[in-house]
Amino acid sequence: MIRTLLQTDWFGPLLVTVAGIAVVTVFSPNFLSPYNVQILLLAISANAMIAFSQMIIIAIGQMNLSVGAIGGLAAIAFAGMMEVWGIPWPLAAVLALGIGLLAGFANGVLVAVTGISAFVITLATLSAYKGMNLGITEAQPFYQIPEIVKTLGNETFLGPLPWLVIPAVLVTVLLWYLLFRLPLGRAILAVGGNPHAAELSGISVSRIVVVAHAISGLLAALGGIMFVGRLQQGNPSIGDGWLILSFAAPVIGGALLSGGHVSVAGTLIGVVIVAIITQVLAVFSIDPFLVQVLLGLLILWAVGLNRLREVHAQRQAAAAARPA
Amino acid sequence: MSDNVVFHAEHITKTFPGVVALQDVALSLTAGSIHALLGENGAGKSTLIKAMTGVHRPDSGTMTLAGAPFAPHTTRDAIAQGIGVVHQERNLIPRFSVAENIFLETLSDHPFRPVDYGQLNRDARRWLDLLEIDEDPATPVDRLSVAKMQLVEIAKALSLDSKILLLDEPTASLTPHETDTLFAILRRLRDDGASLVFVSHKLEEVQEICDRVTVLRDGRNACESRSLGGLGRQDIVRLMIGRSEQVPDWTLRDRAGNAPALELEGVATSLGHRDVSLTVHKGEILGLYGLVGAGRSELAKAVVGKDRVTAGTVRVNGEAAKITSVAEAVERYRIGYISEDRKEEGLILIHSVLENVGMPIWRRLSGFASLLTRGTVRSHTEPFIRKLEVRTPSLEQHVGNLSGGNQQKVSVAKWLAAEVEVLIVDEPTVGIDIKTKAYLHELLRELSDRGTAVLLITSDMPEMIALADRIVVMSGFRTKGEIANTRDYDDVSHGIMELIQQEDEAAA
Repeated sequence: MIRTLLQTDWFGPLLVTVAGIAVVTVFSPNFLSPYNVQILLLAISANAMIAFSQMIIIAIGQMNLSVGAIGGLAAIAFAGMMEVWGIPWPLAAVLALGIGLLAGFANGVLVAVTGISAFVITLATLSAYKGMNLGITEAQPFYQIPEIVKTLGNETFLGPLPWLVIPAVLVTVLLWYLLFRLPLGRAILAVGGNPHAAELSGISVSRIVVVAHAISGLLAALGGIMFVGRLQQGNPSIGDGWLILSFAAPVIGGALLSGGHVSVAGTLIGVVIVAIITQVLAVFSIDPFLVQVLLGLLILWAVGLNRLREVHAQRQAAAAARPA
Repeated sequence: MSDNVVFHAEHITKTFPGVVALQDVALSLTAGSIHALLGENGAGKSTLIKAMTGVHRPDSGTMTLAGAPFAPHTTRDAIAQGIGVVHQERNLIPRFSVAENIFLETLSDHPFRPVDYGQLNRDARRWLDLLEIDEDPATPVDRLSVAKMQLVEIAKALSLDSKILLLDEPTASLTPHETDTLFAILRRLRDDGASLVFVSHKLEEVQEICDRVTVLRDGRNACESRSLGGLGRQDIVRLMIGRSEQVPDWTLRDRAGNAPALELEGVATSLGHRDVSLTVHKGEILGLYGLVGAGRSELAKAVVGKDRVTAGTVRVNGEAAKITSVAEAVERYRIGYISEDRKEEGLILIHSVLENVGMPIWRRLSGFASLLTRGTVRSHTEPFIRKLEVRTPSLEQHVGNLSGGNQQKVSVAKWLAAEVEVLIVDEPTVGIDIKTKAYLHELLRELSDRGTAVLLITSDMPEMIALADRIVVMSGFRTKGEIANTRDYDDVSHGIMELIQQEDEAAA
């Protein structure tokens, strides 16, 4: 039983999380106070979208550097449409999601048609999307956010559970269902695992690349919208610091950067670990720049651990192949 | 026999710039048969396979599959029409289960219909039972042994209703025991009426399992779809090697009296060589002959320090040498290696001619503060590039834009500029047109006349007989013995076959 659990991607990080919470609570008993839990959940909910947005691209063995730029563009579009045009918030949210979808779709088409690596394409579109953002806002935030958006972005609906948890849970379940139950999601992982074999099995690799990038854009936009609610303003700098987190969480969750393997639960726990570390440093009033350093070390540690597990699995397979 | 022909190809011709890869080739496959497709490197075997699997389209000729015209545009096309292929490299999705890999094809038809894994696993059972794969269908394929992964690929191909099943070197990474299991399954499939194509360099296996054979040589049929009955191993080898009409009339040389440049004595390597002994003298061309898979290129790589020599002695210019890296081989011992795979291992295609040729001598030429001027590199390399008549618009041209022959000249120029004393050339003329080939032959001959020791690895028998002064025969990662090259084709090929044969008897 323990053996099977240890082989999953999420069990190890989950143990680390539980142990971490236990230790922190001993030193600072009010760490698990309702207010603190609410703050943690708010951070986790929005950050999970960022991590998932990157995770889906890692699944096809590529990377999306423009996750933050798309999220930022969607955020200011959302806030701007409400402030300037007075569009009701649900319609503005849908339109902003559409912008994210479109931006991701454009990434995917560029990658699939040109054959240029996603790294280069998304580096270019990162700059383009960020430029649009600054052109529209002239680097000034939109402050006129409807009260209901502010409420949904910060308040709770039950105990310490904030409203933002609802879309986060929904997306998590849907993503899991897509990647592990629907042939479309299986095709995404197949393309990441072995594009040549996928192609020969009748999967259109280029179409899957476009689909994955479009989903990535959609999730980044959702993240951006959630940030507008949380920060209570459409700040043009939303998305600027997302890149490291977007890679850290999936990798902590056991994703292979070469593609073909990601874990939805693992990625979510990766987001939780990062949120806890950030929170703990705040609770003990340690220099926030240390978060960056820790995050870097965490990525190295997680990648190393994934590599070890892979080598271990290969050895086991080799041992199983030998005749008894 | 002709009524149950499943696949038929005739008059297949395919040319690439400068090379005729296939000329008027025919092949016909029947149901309930395992058909061997044989040929040495460059004989056109892989081009024919690529034509059948839709990678290349033949310039002329016709193919029919199950009675209908067959002209696949893509690999997908070929698979969809019933060509099942099990490639040498694995084509599975590593983290996916056995069952999902088998049925990936059918699953991808309906992107939004949820996968019923229970049903999938039950369906997969049927194929696993048929192929006697004793594994849970839910196991991820990367937990399986190579042999089982291969069986899963066969199951995948069969599940698609393949009309023919093409197995490319299926035993390359299998143990003898696994090979036996695979063969038992292939025989059973044959008895059930399947049409299988078996591509292998291991002639013992071909004789064990195949009933019909097609041999290609120099892009033509050396024999077409005949029964294997009555063909001995020796006959097959003769068909593969063939005979030459174009051995140049060079004088015989005896350079065995010269000082030895490179000696191997009882050498074993980490790649599995045992008891390898040979000597190349200064000014001599020593041929190293063996069928593909005999371990020749691997030996070359161990000698130049890319892999480890684990036992025995290596002597360079009479002194014991321990070569631990390629850099050491080049700079200290002056040994150069021209890989058979010039595009992957020999040249940097997106760099210029000048940079490619200059690479091995950058360190030697770099002067004060490691500065390297273009002028210095140019003056040390240009004479060689000129001498070899590399046809390039300028030294700045990317090597990738040159023809195969000229690329090969660049490879040679590189080592001439490095002033190597021992040059190991591996299949120097594969995929090169006849004129450039003759030129390269003259060049190697001239090079040795001026004192360079050349170790020539080639599967091209006429080339071997044209160039080598002596021939060492290798088989199964061991050297089997040596014969003098009399330039008499029958004599030499007979001698070589006898040495290869010896191993069979020893193994039996």
